[in-house]
This record gives sequence, structure tokens and C-alpha cells, in this order.
Amino acid sequence: MMRMDSENDGLPQPRTLPSAPPPPLVAPVEPVPALSFRDVSHRYRSHPALDRLTVEILRGQTVALLGPNGAGKSTAIALVLGLISAQEGSVEVLGTDPREAVRQGRVGAMLQTGAGSGLPPNVRVATVLRLVQRLYPSPTPLDETVRSAGIGHLLDRQTDRLSGGQAQLVRFAVAIAGNPELLVLDEPTAAMDVAGQRAFWAMIRQFAQEGRTTVFATHHLREADEIADRVVVVNHGHVVADGPGSSIKAKIAGRRIRFSCSMPDAVLLDSLEGVTDVDLQGTHVWLNSLDSDATVRDLVRHAVQFEDLEVVGPDLQDAYVALTERRPSIERSSTS
Amino acid sequence: MSPLVAFGRFEVLRLVRSWRFIIITVGFPVVFYMLFLGDHTPSKAVAGTVPWRAYLMVSMCSFGALVAGLTSGGARLSAERASGWARQLRVTPIPTWSYVLTKVSASMLVILPVIILVEIVGATFGGVQLAARIWFELAAVLWVSSVPFAALGVLVGFTVNAETAFATVTGLMFVLGYFGGLFNPVSSMPSVLRSAATALPNYHHDQLGLSLIQGTALGLEHWAVLVAYTAAIALAVMMRHRKEELKGTA
Ligand SMILES: Nc1ncnc2c1ncn2[C@@H]1O[C@H](COP(=O)(O)OP(=O)(O)OP(=O)(O)O)[C@@H](O)[C@H]1O
Ligand SMILES: [Mg+2]
Repeated sequence: MMRMDSENDGLPQPRTLPSAPPPPLVAPVEPVPALSFRDVSHRYRSHPALDRLTVEILRGQTVALLGPNGAGKSTAIALVLGLISAQEGSVEVLGTDPREAVRQGRVGAMLQTGAGSGLPPNVRVATVLRLVQRLYPSPTPLDETVRSAGIGHLLDRQTDRLSGGQAQLVRFAVAIAGNPELLVLDEPTAAMDVAGQRAFWAMIRQFAQEGRTTVFATHHLREADEIADRVVVVNHGHVVADGPGSSIKAKIAGRRIRFSCSMPDAVLLDSLEGVTDVDLQGTHVWLNSLDSDATVRDLVRHAVQFEDLEVVGPDLQDAYVALTERRPSIERSSTS
Repeated sequence: MSPLVAFGRFEVLRLVRSWRFIIITVGFPVVFYMLFLGDHTPSKAVAGTVPWRAYLMVSMCSFGALVAGLTSGGARLSAERASGWARQLRVTPIPTWSYVLTKVSASMLVILPVIILVEIVGATFGGVQLAARIWFELAAVLWVSSVPFAALGVLVGFTVNAETAFATVTGLMFVLGYFGGLFNPVSSMPSVLRSAATALPNYHHDQLGLSLIQGTALGLEHWAVLVAYTAAIALAVMMRHRKEELKGTA
């Protein structure tokens, strides 16, 4: 728990957040964040989707929104893009109202489309790209967009004859065609094969090098960790963890060790090798560990009287739940 | 090229290039007209002071405008919503109103040739004889007053999903066509239906055309009803959009 708190100290002052990849070529000179959510709550009819979501993203960062199905990622993105208005709290994009930022052509987006292609039917890919380009005040040259997205071979195709992964690439080209400062991607690799995903993220890295801000939603911890400077974990519409991918991975990707113990000693358990987190509920103990073998050996060495010990794999769903359950401590740390 | 011009051009080209759509939209009223022409029943002669051949042609122009308006918006627009393209456009700099307006304008562009084609069929096979000025005025008046049909198509496209769009468009087409007196003169209808007809936009659209043929003034009440319908439909589109926005599905 202690460790978690210290990692979350960065939350209210995101400037201090470490960023793994080299700094962007164009340093974020303006102090205005690319994106800021302040206590944003949103509900669909009576169904809550966002619950006092607070997060600030600086320019030039590549940030992953990581969370399970229904966490509120797409809702947060819809707010960033002005597709819906915040019912409570405030959202600012590039220092202004989200709709204004979109209207000024400073935002590009790849939305989650479900079964749809996200493209107009019965038209050539090149025609769509040329249109999108003309809708923006200072677009990227077409050939550059085509090269960045790697879709040269798709230009003459009809949009309704693309595979799911190809349509996703074209939608990526649509998202970057307007030369946006902020790029928002909602599960951009959902229909891509592994090779496609790898190529796709290489493009995103390239894009981030140009000093732009990229925010993407994903369920895949590995994707988030590998690509993003910073991972914001969302569950039940709330930020449950925030930090560089490595720390998030430590928190949720390790093994879960669970057992019963008549008199668990939290301080001892927390000091065991590999343990990143301790949850106690009466006699039930859950440990998060980066190295379950070492932790179990240490348990034995310290003669901890455990029963029914089980080592569980990195079940993300469980991990999200675990993070959510620890929410109060995060809040305490971020308001202190 | 300004963004709005680019978008308009894109829409029109896309519309024109979909041959199947054009053939159905333009061909359907013409085929329908031909069928009516073949069916030479005397009841058709009861069309007041207008010769029934001219009466039929005006009705088919009006029907054609209705069909073209509904089909141009209708299924095409709901397919676009289903694919996610409509949503994608909302995250580009063009404002939503211009999207709606472009859709209505593109529909208007489809309506014009339909009206002209029905006139050509009327002049050739339909045995309709009119002064050159009347032919021109008829096309112009019927076209301009077709705005509510173009708007109605867009409303349908905004409201129904892709699966039910076709059925909705077909249903509206025949219900409005029949009760608006496009297939049978309103004067030959029972009085209940007659008052129902006067509440429908295409009845008034039809009446504008008939006034031109009769050489009487274009009744202000007809324009008023059509303008009121356009305003109501525009309001409905706005409300629909607002509702989807709240639901998060726009
Ligand atoms: N249009 C809607 N109407 C009603 N409820 C909605 C709507 N959209 C989302 N929700 C609900 O709001 C919550 C958050 O949904 P959201 O789409 O933001 O999640 P997500 O994190 O993007 O999930 P996924 O990973 O499945 O895309 C979910 O519980 C969902 O059921
Ligand atoms: Mg989503």
C-alpha cells in the first residue's frame, strides 16, 4: 500500500511523471495541458459511466487509457471529442472547449465503431482521404498521410471492400489526415493481426516523435505498457491507477497469491520478495507479486502459517477489480 | 476549395455514382406513371377542371419528388450512421448543421431530374400539352416546394436504423402518396379521407402544380403548409440529434 501511494504522488502534479521514451522533438512550451478532466461524471439515463474522473494529460505525451469492458473509456473519449457534453465537472481540450478544439481542426480521432467500418460506403479510399484533408485548415499532404498509415495499396479500393484490419488502417489515416495536435484512438488495433498491430504501433511512435499528444484506449496491458509514456487505468468510470507502464504492470500484471492465515501480518507480507501489494480481509490474504516463486519461498522462510495457497495468473479483470477496491487509498494520496 | 464545398461535392458525386440508387429513384416514378397511363379508367377523368392526363402527370411529379426525397436521405443516411461515418464526420471541423444541410441539398439535386423526367414522359407518352412557360414553371415550382420531402428523408435517415429504413421509406412513400391524393383525385375520396389529405404536405405540393396548369394563383396556404412542414421536420431532426447526443449514440 505504501508503495502504491508514493507512486501516485505524481497524479496531482503530472509534470513530475517520468516519461520512458525520449522527449518529443518539439517540447511542450505552452503550459496548457492537452487534455484535462476535472471531476467529470456522466450517466446514460440512470446508468453511471464516469464517476468523478479527474485526469490531466500534458502535451507531447502518449497516454494509454487502460480498462476493462464498460470501464468508461469510450465515454471519456466522446467527451474529449465533444460528441457528448459533460453532465458534471469540466473537460478542456488544448486549452479550450472540446467542441471548439474539434472545430478548429486540432483534434484527430479514430472511434470505436463496433461492426461498422467507420467509413462512407461506396466510395474509393483515396476520395475519402481527400475529402477529410479538405475539411481541415492545415492538413498533412496526402502522400505523407498515406505513407504514415501504410495504405498505399488500399487507395483505389472501395471502402466497403476492405477487411476489418484494413478499414482500421484507413480510419487511422482519416484521423491523422488533418495534421492534428491531439490524436485520440479508441481501441485502434481491435481488428488487426499481431503483425498489423506491431506495424500500427510503430506508426504511432513515429507520430508521437513529432511532438503531438496521443491518447488511446485499450484493454491490453502489454499494449499500454509498450507504447505509452503513461498509463491511466480506469474502472467504473474512475481513475484507479496512473503512472508509467512499468509501475502499472507491477501492480496488475503480476501473479496473485491467495491463502488463508489466522493472524496475517501486513507489514511482514508487504516486505516479502516480489510482493507489490497486500490485501487483507479477515483471515483471507491476497498478495500481488511480480515473482510468485520467490514470494512463496519467502513465505516459507518467514514461517507464515498459510493454508489453501493458490497462485493465480495475471487475470486483468481481477486486477482491475483489485485496483478499484483500493480506490479510497488512492484518493487519499492524491488529495494530500 | 472550402470545406463545405468539398463536402457538398463529395456527397453529390457519391450520390451520382451509385447507379443502382439512381435507377431506382428516377426509374420508379416513371414506371409507376407508365402503369397509370396504361390503366385508362374513366374515374381518372374526374379531376375537376384539369384534364386527367395533366392531372396524372402533376401527381406523378409530386410522387417522384416524394420518392426521391425519401430515398436520397432514408436508407443511405442510416447506413452511414450504422457504419460510424456520420459519427466520424462529427469529429471533423465541419459543423453538424452543415452535414444536415448538405444532405438535404444533395436530395434536392436528385429530385430535380426526377421531376423533369416525369415531365418528359408526360409530354411524349402522356399526351400532355402545355405552354413552354408552364412546363418550366411547373418544374421550378414543384422542385422548390420539394424541400419538405428532402428534409423528411433526412429525418427518416436520422431516426430509423439501417434494417428498418427501407421499409419505413417504402411505407411512407405509399401512405403519403395514397392519402395525399397522388394516385386518386382527392375529390373522389370520402370526406374523412379528404380532410386527412389536406393535412399532408404532398397534397399541397400537388395542388401547387395543379394551380399552374389551371392558370390560377399559387395558393398561399399551400406554401404555408409546406413551409410549416419543413420547419417541423427541421425541429424534429434537431430534437432527434439532441436526444442521440444525450444517449451517447449520436
Ligand atoms: N449509449 C449508451 N447508452 C447506455 N449506456 C451506455 C452507452 N454507452 C455506454 N454505456 C454504458 O456506460 C458504461 C461505460 O461504457 P464505455 O463505452 O465508455 O466503456 P468502455 O470502457 O469504452 O468499454 P469497452 O472496452 O467495452 O469499449 C458501460 O457500463 C456501458 O454499458
Ligand atoms: Mg469502448
